[in-house]
Amino acid sequence: MSPRYEACPECDLLLKPAAPEHGEKAHCPRCGYLLQRPRKHSIERTLALSLAGLILIVPANLLPMVGIKIFGNSHDGTLWSGVLALLKEDMWAVAVLVLISSVLLPLVNLGLAFLISFHLFIQKANFHLFHWMRWLQHLNEWAMLEVYALGIIVACVKLAGMAELRFGFGLYAFIALLIVNTLLSNELDSYLFWRRIAQLSKKP
Amino acid sequence: MTIKPLNTAQKQGFIRCHECGNLIKSLAETLCPVCGHSVTSRKPHSVQHTIALIISALCLYIPANIFPIMSVTQLGVAETHTIIGGIVALIHSDMLPIALLVLVASILVPLMKLLGLSLLLLCVHYQWQVNARLFTRLYRVIAFVGRWSMLDIFMISILVALVDLGGVAQVIAGPAATAFAAVVVLTMFAAKSFDPRLIWDHQFSYE
Repeated sequence: MSPRYEACPECDLLLKPAAPEHGEKAHCPRCGYLLQRPRKHSIERTLALSLAGLILIVPANLLPMVGIKIFGNSHDGTLWSGVLALLKEDMWAVAVLVLISSVLLPLVNLGLAFLISFHLFIQKANFHLFHWMRWLQHLNEWAMLEVYALGIIVACVKLAGMAELRFGFGLYAFIALLIVNTLLSNELDSYLFWRRIAQLSKKP
Repeated sequence: MTIKPLNTAQKQGFIRCHECGNLIKSLAETLCPVCGHSVTSRKPHSVQHTIALIISALCLYIPANIFPIMSVTQLGVAETHTIIGGIVALIHSDMLPIALLVLVASILVPLMKLLGLSLLLLCVHYQWQVNARLFTRLYRVIAFVGRWSMLDIFMISILVALVDLGGVAQVIAGPAATAFAAVVVLTMFAAKSFDPRLIWDHQFSYE
C-alpha cells in the first residue's frame, strides 16, 4: 500500500505519489527533483553488489596499486600508504580525512547496504534498520572512491614525466570496486527501501 | 487574477520527515511515527548554520591559496608549490587538460560554491522573486560538485606516499593542504545545511 500524499523534499510541493514502472523516473513537476526511480529487483541486486563490493574492498586496500621507479629506487603504494605518509609528516587532519573518505566510509556504506538489503531479502524486521538507512543516506556523499580514482589519474600524469610507473593488482581491484560501487548506488532504490522497512516494522 | 504565494506542504499543514520521507499530517508532531526521528518542516536554523560555515570556509580559503600546498624535492633541489603554482607548472609542462581539471576542481568549484550559496542565502533573506526552478538547480549543482574538490587532497596524498626517496626525490605536503581540506569539508557541510525549500516559501510564481 502506498501513502496517499507525499511532499517534494526540495520545494515542498504536496503531491500524489506517482507509480512509475521499472526504468521510468518520476520528477517533481514544480522543481524537477527526482522523486522516484524504481529498479528491477532492487533489493536482490543491492545485496549481490554490496557483497561483491565487500569482497573487492579487501584486495583494493591491501595490494599495491601504483609503484614508481626513479634512478633505480622503487617504491610501491597502497590505498593506505597515502594516509600513513601524511601521518608521518604530522598532517593528521588531512590524513584522517583521506582515511575516512577513501577507506573507512566506502567500507561502512557497503556494510550498511549489505545489512539492510539482507534484512529486506529475508524479510526479517530489525529495530536498527531505520538507523542504518539514515546513516547510509547521510554518509553516502562522504565516500569518495570516484574522486580518489581521478586523483590517481592526475598523480600518475604528474609522475609520468619524472619516473617509471607500474600498476599493481590493487589498482585493478580498486577499479572493479569503483564500478561495483557506482552500480550499487544506481540500483539502490531508497524510496522502495524506506517503504519496505516501514512495512516490516509494522508487522508484529 | 489574485496573486498569492505558491503552495507548500507546510502551508497545507503537513511535515515531510527529512529522513524517511514520510508525510505527517500535523505541524505539532515532533517525532516521525514511521522512523522515530525528530521532525521539523524546514531544516532547523538552516540560514544561520549555512552563513557560519560559509564565513569559516571563506576565511580558510585565503591561507589555502597563499601557503604552499606541497614541496617537491628533486636531486636535492626543493621547490614549493601553491595551488595556483601547481596549475601553472602543469601548463608549463604541456599538460593542459590536467591543468584545467585541477583548476576547476580546486579553484573554481570552491569559489563557485561560496558565491552560489551566498546568492541563495541573499535570495532567501531578501525574499527575492526569482526563477526558483533555476535557483534550486543551482543548489543541486553546488551540492553535487562539492566532493570533487577533494581531488587535490587525494592527489597530494598519493604523491606524498609514492615519491618518498630521501634526497633523490621527495614530495612533502604543505600547510595549505590542511586549510584546503577544511574548506572542502566546511563547504560540503554548508551545502548540506541549506534548505532549498526556503527559496520556494516566498515565491509567487515559478519559471
